[in-house]
Amino acid sequence: MGDALKIGILYSTTGPYGAMGVDARDGAMLAIEARIEDCARRTGRAIEPIFYDPHASLGAYLDGARHLLREGCRHIVGTITSAARKEVIPLVEKHDGLLWYMCPYEGFEANENVIYVGGCPNQHLIPAFEYLIPRFGARPYLTGANYVWGWEMNRLARELIANAGGEVLGERYLPLEETAVGRIIAEIEERRPSFVLNNLIGPSSYAFLEAMKTLSDHDPAFRPENCPVVSCDLMECELDLIADGSATGQLCAASYFDMLDTPDNSAFKARAAGRYGHQRRISSVFASAYTAVDLCVGAILAAGSDEPQAVRREVHGREWPSLFGPLTVDSRTNHAALPFHLGRINADNGFDVIASRPALAADPYLTTRGTHMPARLRIVS
Amino acid sequence: MSKTPNFTGWHAMILHREDTNTERLERQFGLLGIRATCQWAPLANWENADLVLVDADQGWDDLLPAKPDALGKPLVALLGSEAPGRIAWAMQQGASAIIPKPVAASAIYPALVMAVSIHEERRGVAERMQFLEERVRMRPLVHAAVEKLRAARGLDEEQAYAMLRECAMRRRLSTEQVSAIFLGGAEPWPEVG
Repeated sequence: MGDALKIGILYSTTGPYGAMGVDARDGAMLAIEARIEDCARRTGRAIEPIFYDPHASLGAYLDGARHLLREGCRHIVGTITSAARKEVIPLVEKHDGLLWYMCPYEGFEANENVIYVGGCPNQHLIPAFEYLIPRFGARPYLTGANYVWGWEMNRLARELIANAGGEVLGERYLPLEETAVGRIIAEIEERRPSFVLNNLIGPSSYAFLEAMKTLSDHDPAFRPENCPVVSCDLMECELDLIADGSATGQLCAASYFDMLDTPDNSAFKARAAGRYGHQRRISSVFASAYTAVDLCVGAILAAGSDEPQAVRREVHGREWPSLFGPLTVDSRTNHAALPFHLGRINADNGFDVIASRPALAADPYLTTRGTHMPARLRIVS
Repeated sequence: MSKTPNFTGWHAMILHREDTNTERLERQFGLLGIRATCQWAPLANWENADLVLVDADQGWDDLLPAKPDALGKPLVALLGSEAPGRIAWAMQQGASAIIPKPVAASAIYPALVMAVSIHEERRGVAERMQFLEERVRMRPLVHAAVEKLRAARGLDEEQAYAMLRECAMRRRLSTEQVSAIFLGGAEPWPEVG
C-alpha cells in the first residue's frame, strides 16, 4: 500500500452557516467512503480525508488551509462564504493546489487553482428572475446579509430589474446573525412589492421568513402565492431550523433538491440513508460537496496522480456522470455547467421542484449575454 | 446602480515580453471575451486597441504613441517594481490602474474596470475643459457686444447683457457665440440689432 491519498476538507460546522458546513462535510465524507475500494484497487492507495473546522472564524480558514497543505493535501474541498474562499485562494495558488468550491456564489471570479461546482448568478439568480418577473411583476424588494454575497446579488438584481423596465421598491441589509427584521417587514408591508429577493443567510434568513409568515397571516397579499420570498441559498438542512410551517410556499433556486425524481437521485439517497439515517434530508450543499469530492477523486484516479495540473486536465477533458446529470467543467472558467431548479417549500419541510432547466454553462463575468433576459423556462408542474 | 461591465469583443494590446504573466493575462482576457495581442515593441498607434497594458518595469518613453486629443486608450500598468521612478513613468504615460506582478488572476478584472472608468471620466473632464477654455477665450467678445448694444440701443450694461443672454438661450448657443455673430454682423438679427 502506497502513501494515502490525502483530501483536505475545510468546513465550519458552527456559526451562522454551521448547518451547511455539517452537510458539506458529511457529503464529502460519503463520497470519499464510496471511492475507497475503487482507489485501493486501482492505485493501491488509501484515501485519507483530513478535516479542519475553522469554527466560523475567518482568520482560521487560512490556518486550516496551511495545516491541510502541510499535511500533504494537494486538494482542498471547502469554504462556504466568498470571504473564506478569498482567504484561502492565495495560499492554494502558492502551493499550486486545487480548491474545490461547491457553494452558490455571486460570480466574478475564475481562478486556475479553483474548481467551481456551485453556481454563479447566470445559473441561479437570472433564471429565477426569468421565472418570477412574468408571473409576479418586476417590482421586488431586496434584502441581504451585509457582505459581498448580499451586496452583489442585490446589485445584479437591480440591474436585471432596470433592464426589465421594473422598479426596486426597497433594499435593506442585516449584519450576520442579526434577527431584528421588524423594520424590513414594516417597509415591505408599506411598499407592497411583487416579490422579495432574500439574500440573508442563517438565523437572519430564518427570522425573516418567520416574520413574513406573521405578516401574511394578517394580510393575504403577502402570502407566498401572491408575494413569494425567493432565496438562492436556502437548504433542506436549514428548514428544520425555521419555526414550523413558517416558510411553506416560499421559493428557492438550486442545482439539486432532495425531492428530485430521478433514478440516480433515488440510488444516491438510499446510500446516504444507509450512512446517515432515513430521516436525513439531502441538501444541495451535501449533494454538491459529494459531487465535488467524487469528481476530484475520479479525476485523480483517471490522471493516475494527484498532481493538480494533471487532475485539472482530466476534469476538463470529459463528461462526468454525476448527481446533477452528465457534468462538464469549462476549461476557461473552471466552472461546472449546472442544471437550474426552482423549489417550493412544502408542508413536510422539503422542496417541491416547480421549474427546471437543463445544465447551464457558467458565465461568471456575465460576458455572453449580459443582464438582459431572454428565454422561457420549462414548467414541470 | 452600477452596471455590470462588459468587455466582450474588445481588443487588448499587451506591451510586455511573453512570460507567465502575459499567459495569465491572456487566459483571463479569453474568458472575459477580450482578444489579446502581446508584443514587446512600440505600439504604432492607439487605434489598434480598445485597451493597452504596458510593462511599467521595463517600459521606455517611445513604447507608447503620443497621446492625441482623445487621450489615447485606457492604460493599465503591469508593475512589479516599487521604485518611485517606475511608478511616475506609469503615471506619465496615463496609466489609470496597476496590475501588480506576478499577476494574480483576481487582480485583472478589477484593474480593467477601474482603468476604463477612470479613462472615461478623464475624457469627460477634458471635453468639459475644452468647452470652458473656448468660452474664456471668447469672453472679450461678450464685453464688446455689450458695449455695441449699449451704444446702438441706449441700454445700460445689465439690460444689454440680458438681451444677449436671452438671445443665446433662444438659439441654444453660448453667450460668447451669439456675441461673435452679433459683432461680425454676418446675419440680420432683428431681436438684437
